[in-house]
Amino acid sequence: MLKPLLTIVCLAAMSRVAAEPSGLPERIEFNRDVRPILADNCFHCHGNDPKHREAKLRLDVREEALKSEAFVPGMPGESQIIHRIQTTDADERMPPPDSHKQLNERQKAILQRWIEQGAEYQPHWAFVPPVPQAIPAGTELPPIDFFIQSTLRENGLTPSPVADPATLIRRVSLDLTGLPPSPAEVDAFLQESTGNAEAAYRALVERLLSSPHYGERWGRWWLDQARYADSNGYSIDAPRQIWKFRDWVIDALNADMPFDQFTIEQLAGDLLPNATVSQKIATGFHRNTQINEEGGIDREQFRIDSIFDRVATTGTVWLGLSVGCAQCHDHKFDPIEQQEFYRLFAFLNNQEEPTMKVYDSSVDATALTAEFKEIEGKLKTYLNDHAGELRQWESGLTPEIRKGLSPAVQKILEEPEAKRSFAQNLGLFASGLGPVGLFRELNDRYQEINAVLNNGTTTLVLQELPKPRRTNVLIKGDFTRPADEVTPGTPAVLHPFHASGGQPTRLDLARWIMSPENPLTARVIVNRMWQQYFGRGLVETENDFGMQGTAPSHPPLLEWLARTFMEEKWSLKEMHRIIVTSHTYRQSSADTPLLREKDPNNYLLARQQRLRLDAEVVRDVALTASGLLSPKLGGPPVYPPIPEGVMNRGQTKRVWTVSSGEDKYRRALYTFVYRGSPPPSLSVFDAPDGFAACTRRLRSNTPLQALTMMNDSGFFEFATALEQIIKQDGLETAFRRCTTRLPKPDELTLLAKLTPLNAARVLLNLDETISRD
Amino acid sequence: MHSESSLRDLTRRHFFSRCSMGIGSLALASLMNERGFAAAPSMTNPLAPKQPHFPAKAKNVIFLFMAGGPSQLDMFEHKPQLTQRNGQPIPESYISGKRFAFMDSSHRIDLLGSRRTFQQHGQSGAWVSDLLPHTADIIDDISIVTTCRTELFNHAPAKLFMNAGSGVFGRPSMGSWVTYGLGSECEDLPGFVVLQSGPRGPRGGGALWSSGILPTTYQGVPLRNQGDPIVNLSTPKSISPAEQRELVDTVREMNLKRLVETGDSEIVTRINAYEMAYRMQTSAPDLMDTSGESQATLAMYGIKDAKETSFARNCLLARRLVERGVRFVQLYDTNWDHHGGPTENLEKHLPLKCRDIDQPCAALVRDLKQRGLLDDTIVVWGGEFGRTPMGEVRESTGRNHHIDAFTMWFAGGGFKAGLVYGQTDEFGFGAIENPAHVHDIHATILHQLGLDHERLTVRSQGLDYRLTGVEGAKVIRGILA
Repeated sequence: MLKPLLTIVCLAAMSRVAAEPSGLPERIEFNRDVRPILADNCFHCHGNDPKHREAKLRLDVREEALKSEAFVPGMPGESQIIHRIQTTDADERMPPPDSHKQLNERQKAILQRWIEQGAEYQPHWAFVPPVPQAIPAGTELPPIDFFIQSTLRENGLTPSPVADPATLIRRVSLDLTGLPPSPAEVDAFLQESTGNAEAAYRALVERLLSSPHYGERWGRWWLDQARYADSNGYSIDAPRQIWKFRDWVIDALNADMPFDQFTIEQLAGDLLPNATVSQKIATGFHRNTQINEEGGIDREQFRIDSIFDRVATTGTVWLGLSVGCAQCHDHKFDPIEQQEFYRLFAFLNNQEEPTMKVYDSSVDATALTAEFKEIEGKLKTYLNDHAGELRQWESGLTPEIRKGLSPAVQKILEEPEAKRSFAQNLGLFASGLGPVGLFRELNDRYQEINAVLNNGTTTLVLQELPKPRRTNVLIKGDFTRPADEVTPGTPAVLHPFHASGGQPTRLDLARWIMSPENPLTARVIVNRMWQQYFGRGLVETENDFGMQGTAPSHPPLLEWLARTFMEEKWSLKEMHRIIVTSHTYRQSSADTPLLREKDPNNYLLARQQRLRLDAEVVRDVALTASGLLSPKLGGPPVYPPIPEGVMNRGQTKRVWTVSSGEDKYRRALYTFVYRGSPPPSLSVFDAPDGFAACTRRLRSNTPLQALTMMNDSGFFEFATALEQIIKQDGLETAFRRCTTRLPKPDELTLLAKLTPLNAARVLLNLDETISRD
Repeated sequence: MHSESSLRDLTRRHFFSRCSMGIGSLALASLMNERGFAAAPSMTNPLAPKQPHFPAKAKNVIFLFMAGGPSQLDMFEHKPQLTQRNGQPIPESYISGKRFAFMDSSHRIDLLGSRRTFQQHGQSGAWVSDLLPHTADIIDDISIVTTCRTELFNHAPAKLFMNAGSGVFGRPSMGSWVTYGLGSECEDLPGFVVLQSGPRGPRGGGALWSSGILPTTYQGVPLRNQGDPIVNLSTPKSISPAEQRELVDTVREMNLKRLVETGDSEIVTRINAYEMAYRMQTSAPDLMDTSGESQATLAMYGIKDAKETSFARNCLLARRLVERGVRFVQLYDTNWDHHGGPTENLEKHLPLKCRDIDQPCAALVRDLKQRGLLDDTIVVWGGEFGRTPMGEVRESTGRNHHIDAFTMWFAGGGFKAGLVYGQTDEFGFGAIENPAHVHDIHATILHQLGLDHERLTVRSQGLDYRLTGVEGAKVIRGILA
């Protein structure tokens, strides 16, 4: 029964590109031809959600539809649906006029022919595991190119030639590391490409994949989905410390941690046997929810809201399903019931949300804590033994001497002796009797350990409760209206769930997600990788693989990529390698008159796609071109200059102390982001604000971007640095640092008319500088 | 610093003499022809004016947002019963099962009568308290709705709800929806502009004017009263106007070459964006320079110094913005959260807030009217919610957040003039006639702009999102002329 699915070669793309409106396919395919019509026009009232189901009619399940004679297989004339879509009687017509939906003639004809041919349904393609793809023996093309070029051939098109080496090294460097190549790297690559171009390119790809900057570039891709930012959100939006999670992501990607492990550690690292500190840090993924610190709130309401977010985010990021829609009611389009939403909720409802101290890897926290306790005991004994001396010292204090003591000590002295804490006594003793002998020895070590253990970095993590919370269905998602109690479980439409015993936990959920039986996750993730490289996923609705999502443009390719991802043991680097070494990736992005006419939106990929760089990369390219970039990896967020007055737009005015030294010039990934007032130079280029999982960035093109590039003090500083490069090394070098290619004579002539500073500004402002071809 | 006038001269010179060298469509077509393209890529400006769904009654919106929740019971809602039963607990039937903010601390259930004196005004006989004498004077120009209802009782979520129809962060605000639906008629300013007054920014910050799932082209742009009116608007200090023009020109020339090379129409959009940015560098300071306004106009708004930062001046700027064709202008005035704390109580601080806004609001309506702009412009006044009939005692008296019934008013843009719509119960707790849910209010505003709230959608995650949510909103016909 799966066979027909494989042979789907026609695609959303082709029906857009090639199929004429009049010509109907010989054989109507339910998934390709019929389901989109029903999903768009009918399922809202005649679908999965019983509360909104009209006339008790259900069209998403064949048996139900047949029972009510909506379709009579083979007999369109007898089928209610045909009558209802054809009639001119406004009371009878479907979809009803007030829905503002209308079927066109082609859609009506498809339904007619489909019923003639027996009205057969197919399971939704994304709910069936990806199936192996046959590639004819003797095919020399890499599988990606085989699939892409087959479709091109059917549409009378051919792929574009490989991009020139300078374009290629810029493209692949930006895509894999988010940084442009240096002129020296370009020279070397051009040189090597004159020999064995293939070997030169493959060596380049290997170098980039093993660069630590790879983890930064693709880490940002994941952090978008993790809705990472450095503040608590809502109205107060106070800063928080969770950058250890960001660094964990970067490190994991650099180490090519298999995606199944990557997933399990983030969803349930704390539940792994003998969980390491690193695995606990990973659970920060679901601590990237907002925390409302506003006065007068009901905390439970916002705790519940954060669980809603976690369920919805898990659904979007790993399953590519809008699970969150079932929070208030059964999903209208996908087979996810409200009850099932709360069964997923039950997995994520059972944790405390502590702040964990993170020590330097050189610190043995267990040993230190033990030593700390031991010394504390000794100090207590010591203080007891010498209490008399302290009393004597205190009684000898004249008012004048008291005045000379530190304010902290004066304050302790105001406390009655019986009420003083150990720490206060310690402070008093050290200050009064002086740090001498054994006391000094003990106290110094005590303070030293205290500094190591109690200061420093923290991060937000999940920690399972010993006894799970009760979970109920919440009527309309309202936490004051609990209904039936539910136990943890997964949607019935997907693969079966196996618990390891006892009450199922987040760890079981994570393992269920990464099960090889799961039809969705591998497809969803490879699709999101593809999207980074071509500007659009093979499934255009990258966050919705459900019924309302678009069909894949190249189904066999998606199937092949998903299976390969699993077969390659979930190696992300291997998938990157496979994609960037394909011809499809390497071809030129230039548009041609023929392609403009035949495939104006480039669905068929007869060329690469020219893309405006992501917000962070816009900054990083300017930093690199001007020679200012600090390549330092990881660590606390930094505060580069931002325009005056942008930090006091919300309720709280914020301090933004500009970082000094190289921290001023770090990659944008490390810039501190307040959700409520994100850095303008990033948000203006569509960087997400961390309020919700972002699975695809918009690429807007606005005057405010132009103002930023022309006038922002940060960009102006980059321009002054590039001005120096022009003065020392000439215009040509500066041009190459921005665009990677050599300027043409007329371009040089234009630039040479300007002052070096203005030439530098022009270079940084070029569309080419902030794009990748 | 170089004077703005020399920058302006350069702009003018550029447009009158050099335009043909710019990105005229003919020139572009011939360039593209050289590479075999039959036609130049279309020069799409995402903010170009668009046709509404049906003929519109209004073109622009000015939303006067009293952030914090103004006390309708001390301004518009005259409730003698409330005064009579001052200090008595509100009957259980009103509050049974309801939730309020500060449930665990300062929330109280004793009724609090207003200490203000109320009078009826104008033809409509609408009640207005002594806090708003100027608003009382324009009463026959406005439609008062006393039965507004929202769903969330904490500030930031409720503000989002009033702006975006949802308490969830990341949804487009009304100004974004409107510019997405209609574009803007102003070619040298953003289509959706935000102005702020009060001691701090509104809770929720930039999320309140976010474009959410719509492109950032449609997001609200804050115009600031100090420093650059728009972030990064000024040319860097050491750069002369001529050099800035040279930058824009050279970038355009270079981008054109790249366009011919690549055939990528995004480059056309970028060239246009640079031109608009350059024009904004002049037009935004022009807009902010109110020195040309007459003394009479300044006095009408109550502006003492043409350079002051105040709600009054923001009202004047709002008029100047709609005059220039800006589609959606939103003014936030903060500190309307009169719980009775040391800086926000009903005795002292509410009168001060009312004094700040009363005269300018009335002046704005009058000014728009006398310039013939009121017919085309919807003026909206209100906050994210109202305040409870029950008092709240902290350091002094105040009222808690209230979502069941609160007051907003509307003027111009085809709204009825001189109307009080809706009726609340004896204490002003809830609607007993004509409730007006926030989604209904949104649907009504969109309707006046020629937009069907059910058709103004954007697809995300397989769903068609709209401003008015999924529960079914309706246009409030009763307040439309």
